[in-house]
Amino acid sequence: MWLKLLGSVCVLAAGTYIGFKLSLRCSQRPQHIRQLVSCIVSLKSYINYISMPLSEALVKSTLGTEGPVAIFFKEIATLLESNIWMNPKQAILQVLDKMEGQLALESTEKEILVVLGANLGTMNREEQNKYLSMIQEQLEKLEQEAVRTRDLNTKMYRYLGVCGGLVIVILLA
Amino acid sequence: MNQISHTLEQDIYPVLAPRLVAIMCLLPKSIKNELTEIRLRINQPVILVFSNTDIMVTSDGQIASEAKQAYICSQEDLARTLHSISRNSLYAFEQELKLGYITIHGGHRVGLAGQVLVEGREIKAIKNISSLNIRIARQIKGCADKIMPYILATDRLVMSTLIIAPPRCGKTTILRDIVYQLSGGHALHNYHGIQVGVVDERSEIAACRNGIPTVDLGPRVDVLDCCPKADGILMLIRSMAPRVVVTDELGRSEDVLALKEALNAGIGVIASIHGGNEKEILHRPYIGELIQNKYFDRYVILGDRPQIGTIEDIIAVKTNELLYSRKKGVKICG
Repeated sequence: MWLKLLGSVCVLAAGTYIGFKLSLRCSQRPQHIRQLVSCIVSLKSYINYISMPLSEALVKSTLGTEGPVAIFFKEIATLLESNIWMNPKQAILQVLDKMEGQLALESTEKEILVVLGANLGTMNREEQNKYLSMIQEQLEKLEQEAVRTRDLNTKMYRYLGVCGGLVIVILLA
Repeated sequence: MNQISHTLEQDIYPVLAPRLVAIMCLLPKSIKNELTEIRLRINQPVILVFSNTDIMVTSDGQIASEAKQAYICSQEDLARTLHSISRNSLYAFEQELKLGYITIHGGHRVGLAGQVLVEGREIKAIKNISSLNIRIARQIKGCADKIMPYILATDRLVMSTLIIAPPRCGKTTILRDIVYQLSGGHALHNYHGIQVGVVDERSEIAACRNGIPTVDLGPRVDVLDCCPKADGILMLIRSMAPRVVVTDELGRSEDVLALKEALNAGIGVIASIHGGNEKEILHRPYIGELIQNKYFDRYVILGDRPQIGTIEDIIAVKTNELLYSRKKGVKICG
């Protein structure tokens, strides 16, 4: 009896944890996209007005930003500095892979970041500025969509987690 | 480790594509020692240039007798080299790209050729870069020894000197050694050393990194790095009170104006210009005026035979006297 009760509590806790985890990821996504946009706006300024080399500009663009997004930009900069033959696209792919699970980003945002890497540092300032503005716009649209998804799904994931756990407990009982 | 190996490892290998580095590492030391340029052209053999000849190399670092055996530079090799040179920040070299070159760490100049974009009458950028020419800069202490007696005047003054030479004749190397000897003093000529100002528009003379010279220029040198010559000469005169100003490759009208101001302010000027001799540059716009009006005291003409940096002639401008001539055997010590 006690064993059954303990098992039920565990199943319920696991269901709740999964629900809350999904809900947290859902609520973090717009925040991470917003931080990405903020870093890209700073990056644009450092490139356009100061012509700062890319790796330094990537580090500087994270000033005022904390958490996984700041780490993401700093890691890219470190990779580019330590491996002179690595291009930004390769660096972004490597860091995305390394930070899988830390960044609450969907494949759409990741694709945009990879496209960003493919053209970063290969154009003149004017073209680079236009390009970064385009990336910024795309991310802003995704942020709006992510906010809508968050509003719709955050509570749903929590309920689903708890209720899913309960259903499993009832079925097993 | 000798100087060239050190230069290659420190400055050149980090900017070359990995496959090119592998080939360079396999080259015999004797080839590396004489190397002056590395020329990369898409779909063409990699060419290594020496003072009077050039060679192609195979993928295992041997000399290729014909183009078929030579390692062919791919588009990827060139793109990777370019990315490394610009540190993935081509936008930061916009001005340099307009002029057709980028100076890398160590003062080595990388010339570029490709498709030029023109807006109005002005060059906007170079895109689709298809050729790179990496020119290896060297510091050769003592290479200006022969010139020094002719440009040192009494009372710690320096004769204003124009170094005239075609490309690849060692103008910058000679200028660098003149700066070193003027600033550090010259025991042989009982010369104590004077304050020297260097306007290094292309970062070649002093090869500055974060504004600090990476070559030994002696203790009395102030460098304005990446500064336009015309503005830099005037800035140095006003702010650093040099006894002599040294700059590289004159050409524009504003350079001439600034130079005139310096020469009329009692400051010695040592500069270089592209040309075969003083008669060749006489008809060039702006610079011709300096020659016609005899603004300089000395002309030093350099050649590349039998080797780069050979002093052909040294001329006293005001008296039109030939002070030194390699061919004619003239040697009147200044």
